[in-house]
Amino acid sequence: MNFLAHLPEERLFDCYLAQRGGEAIDPRIADHLTDCETCAERYVDLTRFMDDLCEDGACEADALFTPERLRTQQQQIARRLEQVGRRARVISFPGQLVRRTMTAPGSHSAPRWVAAAAAAGLFVGVAVGAGYRFGSRPVGLEQTLARQAPLSPRGLNPAQLSADDAFLSDLEVALERPHTRELMAFDALTPHVREVTAR
Amino acid sequence: MSADNKPATGNARGTASDGGTASPARRPNASPSGPVSEDTRLAVEIRGLVDKGDLDQARERFGELVARHQRRASRIAYQYLRDLSEADEAVQDAFVKVFSHISSYREAWPFEVWFTKILVNGCLDRRKARMRRERWLVGGEVSRSDEARVSAASTSANPEQQLLARERRARIAAAVDRLDGRQRTVFMLSQYGERTPREISAITGLNESTVRVHLFRAARKLRGILGGKS
Repeated sequence: MNFLAHLPEERLFDCYLAQRGGEAIDPRIADHLTDCETCAERYVDLTRFMDDLCEDGACEADALFTPERLRTQQQQIARRLEQVGRRARVISFPGQLVRRTMTAPGSHSAPRWVAAAAAAGLFVGVAVGAGYRFGSRPVGLEQTLARQAPLSPRGLNPAQLSADDAFLSDLEVALERPHTRELMAFDALTPHVREVTAR
Repeated sequence: MSADNKPATGNARGTASDGGTASPARRPNASPSGPVSEDTRLAVEIRGLVDKGDLDQARERFGELVARHQRRASRIAYQYLRDLSEADEAVQDAFVKVFSHISSYREAWPFEVWFTKILVNGCLDRRKARMRRERWLVGGEVSRSDEARVSAASTSANPEQQLLARERRARIAAAVDRLDGRQRTVFMLSQYGERTPREISAITGLNESTVRVHLFRAARKLRGILGGKS
C-alpha cells in the first residue's frame, strides 16, 4: 500500500472496527492518520457517522424498553420458564361413563332388534303405500281435483286476490331483508330485484 | 493529533448507551475462541443443574443471564421488528428457547453468540411471517403508539428537536431496511448487538472477511442514503 496517498475507505473502516473491538490498529495506518490531516478528518467523520447511528438506535429502543418494561419482561419470562420441564396436564376424559354405556347388559342385542324393526317397518310402509296408490288412484285424483276446484282463483273475488298478493309480497320482503341491524343500512342502499322488475 | 486520540472520539457509543451492556473494548469475551466468559460459565452451570433435575435452582440462575442480556436483546429485536410488543415477544421466546434447549448447549461457542443466534433467527422468522401477513393487510413501519412512547421518553423538551429526532430515526430505519438481507443482519449485529466481526461470523456462519465486507458495504450504502460524508 502506498502510504503517501490517502487511505482507502476500506482501510479506514477496518481501523474503525479494530478500534471498536479493542484491537490494535495497524501501526502504519496509525502513523498515516497522525500525519495526514485529510485522512484523519475522514476517519473522524466515519466514526462519528457510525456512532451516531448506533446511539440513535440504542436511544430509540431504550426509550421503549423502560426499566419497568424490562422488569415485566423478566417476570413474564420467569412465568413461562415455570412451565418448562413440567409434564403437560392431561384432562381426563369421562371414561367411566363411556365404559358404563359400553358394558350395559343387552347393549349388543338392542341395536340388532331396532335395526330389524326398522327394516320391517320400511318394508310394510313401502308395500302398503304402493298398494294404496295403485288401488285408489282414480278416486283419489278425482276427489283431490273436486276439493281443489272451489279454491281456484277464478272462484275468488279480485279484492281477496289482491289482499293475498300483498300479504305474500310482504312475506317475501320480510324474508329477503337482513335480520342484522348493522346490515340494514347496506340493504337500504342496495337495489332489489322486485324494485327493478316493478319499473 | 495522534491516531490513539482520534479514534477515541468514536468511543462515545459505549458511554451513551445505558451501561447495562459492557462497551466492546471492555467486553470480557470478544472472540468465540477466546477465554470462557462469565456468561458461558453460568450457562454451563445452568446446564448442569438442569441435567441433575434441579430446575428451580436452574431457573434462578438463568434469571441472572436474562437480566444481563435482555436490554441488548431488546435493542436487536426492536431494530429488526420495529414493533415494541413483537420485539418483546421475540426476546421472551428466545430466552425460553435457550432455557428449554440448554442441555444441547456446548461451550465451544460463547453463550452470547449462541443466544444471539437464536434471537436473530426468531426475529427473522417473525419478519418473514409479517411480510406474508402484509401481503393481505396494511402494515406500518412503526406503530403510532411506539412513536408516541419514544417521543414521550425523549430527553429533549423542545418539540422541534423531538420532531427532528423522530424524523431522523424514521430515515435511519428506512435506510437500514433498504440494505439487503445479509448486510442488514451483519450491520444490526455489529451496531445494535455490539458484536465483533468474529462473533458475527460465528452467529451467521459467514466467513469473517465476508462479514467485514458486508459491514463496509452496509456502512457505505447508509452513508450514501443518509448523506454522511464518504
